Amino acid sequence: MSRLDSAVIGLGRSKLPFSMAEYKLLLEHSKDPTFRTLDGYKAKGGYTALTKALTMERSAIVDSVKAAGLRGRGGAGAPAFLKWGGMPKEKKTNHYLICNADEGEPGTFKDKELLENCPFLLIEGMTIGGFAVQGDVGYIYIRAEYMDGAKAVRNALDEAYAANLLGKDILGSGLNFDIEIHMGAGSYECGEETALMSSLMGERGMPRLKFPSAPFPVVSGVFEKPTLIHNVESYSNMPFIVNNGAEWFASLGASTKNSRGTKIFSVSGHVNKPGNYEVEFGTPLRELLELAGGIRGGKLKACIPGGSSVPVITAEDVDRAILGYEEMGEVKSMVGSGGCMFFNEHTDMVKLAWRSALFYANESCGKCTPCREGTRWMVQILERICRGDGRPGDVELLKQVASQIDGRSFCPLGDAAAWPVLAAIRVFPQEFEYFVEHGKSMVDSIPSLIGVP
Amino acid sequence: MSELITLSKSNQRPAQLRQEDLKLQFSERGVKELDALISHYPNKKACILPGLWLAQREYGGFLSGDAIAEVAFRLDRHFAEVEGVATFYSLYNAVHKPGKHKIEVCTCLCCHLNGAWNLRDHLVKKLGIRHGETTSDGMFTLEEVECLNTCDRAPAIQVGSNYYGPVNEQQMDELLDTLRKTEESTVVQYAADVVKVQLRKNEV
Ligand SMILES: Cc1cc2nc3c(=O)[nH]c(=O)nc-3n(C[C@H](O)[C@H](O)[C@H](O)COP(=O)(O)O)c2cc1C
Ligand code: SF4
Ligand code: FES
Repeated sequence: MSRLDSAVIGLGRSKLPFSMAEYKLLLEHSKDPTFRTLDGYKAKGGYTALTKALTMERSAIVDSVKAAGLRGRGGAGAPAFLKWGGMPKEKKTNHYLICNADEGEPGTFKDKELLENCPFLLIEGMTIGGFAVQGDVGYIYIRAEYMDGAKAVRNALDEAYAANLLGKDILGSGLNFDIEIHMGAGSYECGEETALMSSLMGERGMPRLKFPSAPFPVVSGVFEKPTLIHNVESYSNMPFIVNNGAEWFASLGASTKNSRGTKIFSVSGHVNKPGNYEVEFGTPLRELLELAGGIRGGKLKACIPGGSSVPVITAEDVDRAILGYEEMGEVKSMVGSGGCMFFNEHTDMVKLAWRSALFYANESCGKCTPCREGTRWMVQILERICRGDGRPGDVELLKQVASQIDGRSFCPLGDAAAWPVLAAIRVFPQEFEYFVEHGKSMVDSIPSLIGVP
Repeated sequence: MSELITLSKSNQRPAQLRQEDLKLQFSERGVKELDALISHYPNKKACILPGLWLAQREYGGFLSGDAIAEVAFRLDRHFAEVEGVATFYSLYNAVHKPGKHKIEVCTCLCCHLNGAWNLRDHLVKKLGIRHGETTSDGMFTLEEVECLNTCDRAPAIQVGSNYYGPVNEQQMDELLDTLRKTEESTVVQYAADVVKVQLRKNEV
């Protein structure tokens, strides 16, 4: 092969978006009702990973989390290894595990499907975690709205206890590990990990000081004890990493810079087939839209690729975006929690920004001033614009308020409130200007979009 | 109720609740379940959230001052602390007594795009109540809520432990009729379900 040829092939592999279909790893058996029972789960190879893990060195499991390149699926995408490796090696006190199943990010419903249809993946993953970091108790914090998911997890837990896969001396290995369900009570902020711990300790769901002002949760987390906290999807990857090996896992998504494995995206909005789609990292965003049956009711206008907290992108960016933590940065957005919403040409971006701002104003916990007051202020300005009473300079004011929240709030909810508004103004400035000037929307909305209270 | 939160001495924290001041109402089963729930945590304080769910079931869907006081008493906490927790979370009915059925309409992003406002307006017209209000016969409470995270089924609503979606106006009317005929309060049923899933099989 000439050098020229190989250069062209090399280019073809890394630069041009190539075609990839759905890659079902976690969701492979999600449509099979028997997968929710212990027998059905074992028939599909369930619990071989735990059996294998129990014969391994603890440190070997932690190393495989590192070699696999697993990153947290809860939103921030932090390397999971930092948490697993950060847990004390020598056990001096109780260690806790927490599963964050307080999914509340608008547009996301992947954890819901995992809880309802694949509860054993989570339980096995957590038990492996319990062994690897010497945990005593694992708490699954489920938002109270998710009753179907909670019931499925309850049944699975009861079966696991009956089969000695939880409790005392698991499978004769000497490992003691319990898992309890803790139900939330309706608060988005409790998804933030320190707020979740407050809530688990019986307090208002307000966040706590973070590093460097306070130790990491792996040093002092819930009940002031070392705590490993992960999202449902993160734990559910563990059985595959242990079973198939870290190298195999790391080969998934190898075309991306630093995202490994698969990711479940919850596709909704103006698409023909909304639902959860699991794809390998490195898949073009466009393909996700095609998997979801394409756009309905008009042409594609914009997309919020990772839950309401991440910046909106245009249709042109949808065509070139590659799903990967670093890759999404190139279109100034993020993978986030994987709540991917597509909007057609009749979507009014000003009203969308208003609705998003209203969400954060409603869910702000009230602990710090920039977020508590700022989110309300943004809603007031946007409401005024949407009513047709926008004043000259309102867009500037809105930008100013949003950038005062961004980076100045106690927890990332404030930033998450500011970003969508700032991005909407950055990407569609003409719509905001038009609305303020003419007192009406630039977009001919279809009727269902009109109602603003 | 007010005597419970009066200060025992000026500049002192509220006094511990005393049993003789309270009208304890938890059923025998409720007390047993609370003990089981407490055993899940290293301290009693952590059981405040599950305890409030239990009280919401035992007190017919509404966390009155008495209900909060009972939780505080049984967990050795102060009234104000437990009340503070109860009023933070949106699913505890600590401020207004809800109707027999609570209809929670999601009006967040995706549902907004898929016509949740029309559905909301339809309900407002049909029931004659607005966000946070209860019909005069005590049957329905209407609430606009944030994302229920079932956006693939937008517009979605929640009633008790169940999600419905996508719902149109006709289906909404049918659901209202079914609910009217339902004996049991879905608000209480929901609290009962939340308590139940937190207990192991051998703890029930
Ligand atoms: C406002 C806010 C809400 C969040 N909500 C969730 C959530 O619902 N589910 C979740 O898994 N992580 C959520 N997170 C992220 C968590 O703080 C944390 O990063 C995550 O649980 C860590 O798990 P991971 O390492 O598996 O990603 C939220 C963060 C913030 C700031
Ligand atoms: S940014 Fe501040 S007010 Fe907002 S949720 Fe976080 S701590 Fe609460
Ligand atoms: S926006 Fe209504 S369920 Fe998500």
